Amino acid sequence: MTPATEAANAPSPSTRLLLFWVLVVATCGLVYELITATMASYLLGDSVTQFSLVIGVYLSAMGLGSWLSRFVEHRLANRFVHVQLIIAVVGGFSAPALFLGFSVLDDIRPVLFAILIIIGTLVGLEIPLLMRLMPGKQELKDLVARVLAFDYIGALLASIVFPLVLLPWLGLVRTSLLFGCLNAGVALWSARAFVRQLVRPRWVTLQALIVLLATGSCLLIGGQIETFGERQLYESPVIFSQKTRYQRLTITRWSDDIRLYIDGNLQFSSADEHRYHESLVHPAFAAREQLASSPARNVLVLGGGDGLAVRELLRYPGVQRIDLVDLDPEMTRLFSETPALAQLNAGSLADPRVVVHNADAMRWLEQQRSGGGPASEAKLAPWDIIVIDLPDPNNLSLGKLYSRAFYRLVRAVLAPDGVAVVQSTSPYLSPRAFWCIVATLDAADMHPLPYHAHVPSFGDWGFALAARSPLQPPAKLAFELPQPQELRFLSPELVPTLFAFPADQQPHEVEPNRLDTQMLVRYYDQDLHSFGPLTRRAGS
Amino acid sequence: MSLSRRKLLGASGLSALALGCNRDRAAPAAAPEFTGQSPERGHLLRSAALLDAPIDARLRTGVVIVGGGAAGFSAAWRLQKLGFNDFTMLELEAEIGGTARSGALPRSAHPMGAHYLPAPPRECSELLELLTDLGLLVGYEHDGTPEYRSTAICAAPEERHFHAGTWHPGLYPGDGETPEQAQQWERFWERLRELDRARDANGELLFRLPVRRSAAGLRGLDRISIAQWLDAQGFDSWRLRWYVDYACRDDYGCTLDQTSAFAALHHFLARGLEDTREEPLLTWPGGNGELLASMRARLELGERLKTDHIVYAIDPERGQLRVRDLAAERTIMIEAQAILWAAPRFVLRHVLPRDRDPLATNAMTYAPWLVANLELREAPGGVGAELAWDNVPVIQDPAARNLGYVLATHQEGRDRAIEAGAVITYYQPLVAHDPAGLAKHRAHLLASDAGVLSEQVLGALEHMHPGIRRHLGAIHIHRWGHAMIRPTPGHLFGGSLDVARAPIGCVRACASDVGGLPLFEEAFYAAIEGADWALDRIGRA
Repeated sequence: MTPATEAANAPSPSTRLLLFWVLVVATCGLVYELITATMASYLLGDSVTQFSLVIGVYLSAMGLGSWLSRFVEHRLANRFVHVQLIIAVVGGFSAPALFLGFSVLDDIRPVLFAILIIIGTLVGLEIPLLMRLMPGKQELKDLVARVLAFDYIGALLASIVFPLVLLPWLGLVRTSLLFGCLNAGVALWSARAFVRQLVRPRWVTLQALIVLLATGSCLLIGGQIETFGERQLYESPVIFSQKTRYQRLTITRWSDDIRLYIDGNLQFSSADEHRYHESLVHPAFAAREQLASSPARNVLVLGGGDGLAVRELLRYPGVQRIDLVDLDPEMTRLFSETPALAQLNAGSLADPRVVVHNADAMRWLEQQRSGGGPASEAKLAPWDIIVIDLPDPNNLSLGKLYSRAFYRLVRAVLAPDGVAVVQSTSPYLSPRAFWCIVATLDAADMHPLPYHAHVPSFGDWGFALAARSPLQPPAKLAFELPQPQELRFLSPELVPTLFAFPADQQPHEVEPNRLDTQMLVRYYDQDLHSFGPLTRRAGS
Repeated sequence: MSLSRRKLLGASGLSALALGCNRDRAAPAAAPEFTGQSPERGHLLRSAALLDAPIDARLRTGVVIVGGGAAGFSAAWRLQKLGFNDFTMLELEAEIGGTARSGALPRSAHPMGAHYLPAPPRECSELLELLTDLGLLVGYEHDGTPEYRSTAICAAPEERHFHAGTWHPGLYPGDGETPEQAQQWERFWERLRELDRARDANGELLFRLPVRRSAAGLRGLDRISIAQWLDAQGFDSWRLRWYVDYACRDDYGCTLDQTSAFAALHHFLARGLEDTREEPLLTWPGGNGELLASMRARLELGERLKTDHIVYAIDPERGQLRVRDLAAERTIMIEAQAILWAAPRFVLRHVLPRDRDPLATNAMTYAPWLVANLELREAPGGVGAELAWDNVPVIQDPAARNLGYVLATHQEGRDRAIEAGAVITYYQPLVAHDPAGLAKHRAHLLASDAGVLSEQVLGALEHMHPGIRRHLGAIHIHRWGHAMIRPTPGHLFGGSLDVARAPIGCVRACASDVGGLPLFEEAFYAAIEGADWALDRIGRA
């Protein structure tokens, strides 16, 4: 039997089968619409606007598609299969493409609406095409009634399954790929079923197979795409997002909980940031009273552009000047000029005692060590307290700011009776990195004193005090602190307990982090891989 | 669309798409051009017209320093340190630096030649003093370990090599080695450790800086090549030999069989064994030119530094120099009590009276180098080990070897490193067995236009980065006819260096070549000894 006669003898697809397809493609169409709307509200914030816009644009694109269907006169089956394939590709890859686009483009909206219009138009086109492909002579009233009924059932199905099953269980990326597979599956099935009506049926079947394979294999490796994409996915609505020269800053808000993410990594949650920042700042003042007799006057903050550590520092009336060095001017601007954020740090960055320097911390400190930066600036060093609040050492350029050379630099600008404190990652999640930071401070002759505190958003979190001479764990809060009762986490009784480490968190045998070996970044990577993707406070 | 975004897209499996955009959008690269030392300037010495020019002005000075490179500035530093300020420095080019000259492309400063200085061993107290003066050595730890300016310390990753299509960390091509090769590598280091521990009868170190301070014990090794030494030790692993060959080319512009065994071992041992020493490498985006620039700024030479000045005749008895100011087109007669020749030693013959130079022609040979700086719109990547400071291809054919490239932008802080693109410096010593072969390379450098040499460079880089042309913004070619003194067998302790160093009347040569090795340390010590000699001579010491 020749292919031609085989094709001629194949039966036409039944009405029932076609209606099933209507159901599937209608579900797919609405799922894509929901994916796009969800992404828009996640990434751009303001969900009412995003949902309204997406629904409006999508529906009008469907109308455009339906209208365009009148110009399709020949090769209906081919057109239908191809429309399915394009929807499979554009819809299936819509979520990965949007995640990717969000991390690389300044403005994601053009891509988002392009995807929306393409899918809407094609979905609008496919239902009229299917109607015209219905077998035999059917009365118009029956045809329209059945097809549209199934179309709307599909929509109902999608709107129930998407929020209840798909989003929580599969996530956006795998959901969109799964429905891409369904569209490709319908394409393949219809290519077989319409084999009699198709022009070049084998070629069309092959195309459908390729698309099915592509979406299918991406779905299988979807886990990896997920970790890439899902890192960008925040747990609460985004109220602000900006790509600065150095990083992407994203702020989310859920009820009273405001969170800052840098490049998708959580930096703080307003629900418990007081635990982190009180633990970061106050033990250093308490420990300094062992060495110094007068209150701390000059304070240096490296990193900490959110102004939250500065808020704690300003509780000390003796502090006359705070120099804050943060790489990103957008970060410090955001936290001094946005009311909701300035409220979090109690307007600390606008305090006249605070001077913000936007520079690379190592270069800036090197300038200070060699006798000051621009001639206009008076010599700032030495500082009585130095707070090092940098993102975790997850790359080589950040690793430099945890090196022995860097701590020697810190030592050089620290007053002889001064105390430095370093945020040191989690001693529980990344123990080798934590003890490497401690060992590096030791190698830089900085007499480290490690401690930790529980910060629910991060888990068990580590810090290290450091000074030019050995320190004892402080027994209480500093005398200089006039209103200790204002603290929400630390109390005089709690302070000494921070310095005790349980049996399963004893020091690890690690090498110090040297600029020319950068062991710390390696330890940090190894630790994270043994714990899975629990990255916290990692930045650019 | 910025370049960092393209990189991300590429990483995310959409590279085909991204490359498509690239090809359409990439602006054409600027035409290749020559920058840096001009061969024509040096060759002016060959023209007779200079000699006939009448004297326009006369000048008296205590000491003349000829050459504004590492040796010249070291001599000036020493003179000034000892309280002697009556000197004049003459530099042929419009810019200072010599082989340590810096240049700049829009993205970053870059070296044209010498580009790093290993932190010196503790016995080099004068050099440590210079580094302290320049604010590079900022203090000492309890145990006496020097502490260097953090921004000058070459940060990890320092090195990677390209072998069998993949990048690997470090410089030893150990991937896929046989047990026998692994054992040779072990044995090689064991042998070096033995040599490192060894002392001569008086307890002196056998390999020291400057090289002439080395104890006599092993000087015999200068008579054979490092290839012969490896043969004698039974080291036939190609991996090990490639590694040592790379070190010789990198430091000396010579192959395994052109390098004195003493010189090659000196590379590994003079600063303590590389695998145990703690001291860092010091480097700058602009290479050692930045070191010289900070010496210049500190010395405040003012009028005492004269660029664009060619010395074309010296009377070593009267201490007279005839100098042409190429910018003002004037001829000056300078009279000095001592002349420090801080320029290549072979040029001295051409400015001294006929037959006055006791050094035999070709007693010292120099390696020509082809160096190029490329501005790239995207930093080079590759499969395997990540981009390092030094990036070296492992090439089997010795005739086709080059040293790969150094990343000028490696030392940038986080504020600059975020910018897309990079500047890389390509290095290729042009090796040959005899003076005729070297002369052929120099003729090739002189005769080729920038386009031809740029093709040579891009061809070599495409081996590592096939798409590199797409990202090329500009390429600057630097031709070095005599970049490095070649420590061939017999060169260090065969006697000719003593002749080369010996004063001729009131002239004394003091550049790195008369030290014997093409190193900053050699230039520095030859120059400070020259400066001390000059002060002695004029009765000031």
